[in-house]
Amino acid sequence: MSVLDKLREATSVDAIKTDLLRTAYENEGSFLHRLDPRVLLLWYGIFLFIPWLFYDTEVLLGLLAFVSILAVLSRVSLFLVGVMAFSVASTLVSYAIVTAFTGDPVAAVRALIPFTLKLTIISVSSLAVFSSMGPKTLARGLRSLGLPRQFTFLITYGYRMLPVLFEEYHDLVNSYRLRSAPPDSPGRFRWRHYLYLLKLSMRAFYPMIFNVAKRSRVTVEAMETRGFSHSLNDAASTELQLADLQVRPVDIGFVGGSLAVVAVIAVVL
Amino acid sequence: MTATETTHDGTIVVEDLSFRYPGSDETVLSGANLKIEPGEFVAVVGGNGSGKTTLCKSFNGIIPHFYEGSIEGQVTVAGLDVRTSSVSELSRHVGYVFQEFDNQLVNPTVFEEVAFAPLNYGQADYRERAHRTLAMLDLDGLEDRFVWELSGGQKHLVALAAALSLDPEILIVDEPAAQLDPSNARETYDHLARLNGAQGKTVVTIEHQTEYIAEYCDHVVLVEDGAISWKLPVDEALNRLDDLRAQDVHPPQVTRLAERVFDDDGELPVTLRDGIDQFADRISETEDRSDGAVAKTATVDRRSEPVISFADVSHTYQTLRSGTRTVLDSVSLDLYPDERVVLLGRNGAGKSTLLQLITGLETPDTGIVTVDGLDTESVLPEQLATEVVYVHQDPEEMFIDDAVRADVAHYLEDRNYPDVDSRVDDVIEFLELTELQDRDGRLLSVGQQRRASLAVGLATDPSIILLDEPTGSLDLASREEVGRTIDRAGKRVETVVIATHDLELAAAWATRVVILDDGNVIADGPPGRVFSESTVLKRANLRPPQVVRLAEALGLEPAPLTVTAFADRLGVDDPSPAPITEGNR
Repeated sequence: MSVLDKLREATSVDAIKTDLLRTAYENEGSFLHRLDPRVLLLWYGIFLFIPWLFYDTEVLLGLLAFVSILAVLSRVSLFLVGVMAFSVASTLVSYAIVTAFTGDPVAAVRALIPFTLKLTIISVSSLAVFSSMGPKTLARGLRSLGLPRQFTFLITYGYRMLPVLFEEYHDLVNSYRLRSAPPDSPGRFRWRHYLYLLKLSMRAFYPMIFNVAKRSRVTVEAMETRGFSHSLNDAASTELQLADLQVRPVDIGFVGGSLAVVAVIAVVL
Repeated sequence: MTATETTHDGTIVVEDLSFRYPGSDETVLSGANLKIEPGEFVAVVGGNGSGKTTLCKSFNGIIPHFYEGSIEGQVTVAGLDVRTSSVSELSRHVGYVFQEFDNQLVNPTVFEEVAFAPLNYGQADYRERAHRTLAMLDLDGLEDRFVWELSGGQKHLVALAAALSLDPEILIVDEPAAQLDPSNARETYDHLARLNGAQGKTVVTIEHQTEYIAEYCDHVVLVEDGAISWKLPVDEALNRLDDLRAQDVHPPQVTRLAERVFDDDGELPVTLRDGIDQFADRISETEDRSDGAVAKTATVDRRSEPVISFADVSHTYQTLRSGTRTVLDSVSLDLYPDERVVLLGRNGAGKSTLLQLITGLETPDTGIVTVDGLDTESVLPEQLATEVVYVHQDPEEMFIDDAVRADVAHYLEDRNYPDVDSRVDDVIEFLELTELQDRDGRLLSVGQQRRASLAVGLATDPSIILLDEPTGSLDLASREEVGRTIDRAGKRVETVVIATHDLELAAAWATRVVILDDGNVIADGPPGRVFSESTVLKRANLRPPQVVRLAEALGLEPAPLTVTAFADRLGVDDPSPAPITEGNR
């Protein structure tokens, strides 16, 4: 049993790591990646708004199906989908539990389904949009919409730090494991063992943040020696960085097509 | 650009420079004077904490613009006054590669990293510049790779490329050899030499390893307590043995050997080539005296059961753009009690993975790892930890509490050992950490961190101790300290395995050397035998210690592995007792 469990444990940490990094970076082949980031952000803005126009569960399900197809096309991380599904399901369950004391839980959950669906549509479209844009594309999109470079660089740098954080965290959890006493008996379904791992993984957070923060000193110096603050006031630099952004027919087609799909769903359902 | 462009040559002038960090009474630099001419290749040496990094950070304005200390004196670099010029202005003329080059890479891919600076300065030809720079350092083909998926050597070259992409007149590289395997370090130095020779760039490196200095640099600057003791041509500088040793810098092995062997006051050789010339006469004189003293062989009882056993073990991991990497490929290896094993191999050869397989933190994809009779897959790493201790190559990863003492006690307290306090006291005293025990381990200097991380490991009272790169980035004093600790710890434990690039440590300390390459064990045996297999070493990107190469060139068979052994062979009496890090002396 423990062999299987450990195998699962080992593969899952690495699998999640790879999965998340792929979501963050490997999006070149996806459909949405080909679109101009500004158009994609505009589309996202529209889809933040659209679900609130409808109350009909069927229409909302149709919209959910549509954004889900886009999410599949942009190869969303299974881990993130899992986390989202878990949070949606657990929200509904918690409604049911609370309302069980006050009245009819089934009716309450049914009443809340449209609202939950709207939030889910928005979550799925966020996943689709942000996993199809790499950090660089996203930063350039926001920059061309007028956000300052300090902010947009922070996004790309945050993405850059992902693997560093994973590594650091993994190492620290391992350090904890080698120096801690595991529970004497793992308990039913090994719950004590998992509780123990959960505790360790929470305790590893502080040292991780500390170590990473310590390293960022060099990073800031290094950025300065490569002219980062110079670029903030350099028009030529800004121009070069935004040079190949352009809205093409496919972008307009995508936004138009999406709106048409929404219209069809609204009318037919 | 501007009309003053022509005055930007690679000159560095430091006049009476003093610097004090805010809130500190001690001056890091006090009255430093130095002139570096254009086109020089200068090594800056000095002990840990002597102020050499602070000095070099004043060349591109990080000091004083990024550290708000009090500064006096004047630094002029490429015709610009450092105090009145901004870091980004100076950086057009000064490229800087940090010691922690990993943290210097701020972009996800190699191309973006190298194009970052030219793009920031609005240079329209940034693409060509990036490609040109990558080609210059033989990095073409890596453009789209993620920086965290590169090997250590490649990362360092990318950091160098990123600093070079603006075509600066001056290049500063902080400790290139510290974290690279010997052959990657040489590759970096070869590139630096070419940039210095063909393009006339001024190159300044901070370096502990004098063998590289002797081979590549033309001048040496000795920093002592924040001031410049001297700047001398390299031959003369490396002959100032007392000055160097007083600052914890150890001269090349040939020089140390010549010091013992030659009794006249002539200039000592500093490079292998000079050494070969000078020792050739000596060897023929003493030939009849060198009776071919055979290096003592390992006296390990191979009939006993192995403590650690790898049976046909393979291990792979996934990357995004570099595919599946096989780290270990059907490795079989048995380690016995009382062995002192050194694992060698290039950066990324699988040394750390092998150590982590022994801890049970990693498990093999196929094959079986047995530790003390237990299949590592059948038990938790926590259980193995009662016998095995693993000291991470980055000591920071060993500190999980906010004081050294708490870190040392963590294991014992968590497992409810009796008399925790007295046992912790023992270890703290044993490693001379009493002064530091209440400080946060992460805020100590590198040498102190190493020592504290060893204390954390030893507190568990293990029978197997695994050390990953214990002497990386350390000066002579710290390395000796670590060496002594390993030696003393070795008396308490059964088996010690060290993964390292430090071949002098391997030569002086190991009873068995295992070389990994391409996921396989390509050599395994006592150091004397392994170091004589030059083709195998070459394949693994390794070079035997300088004395071994000297002995080979002179036809001494078998080659002595340390300076002392060599001197003995030449019939020189050794007045001082030899500590285990004697190879460093």
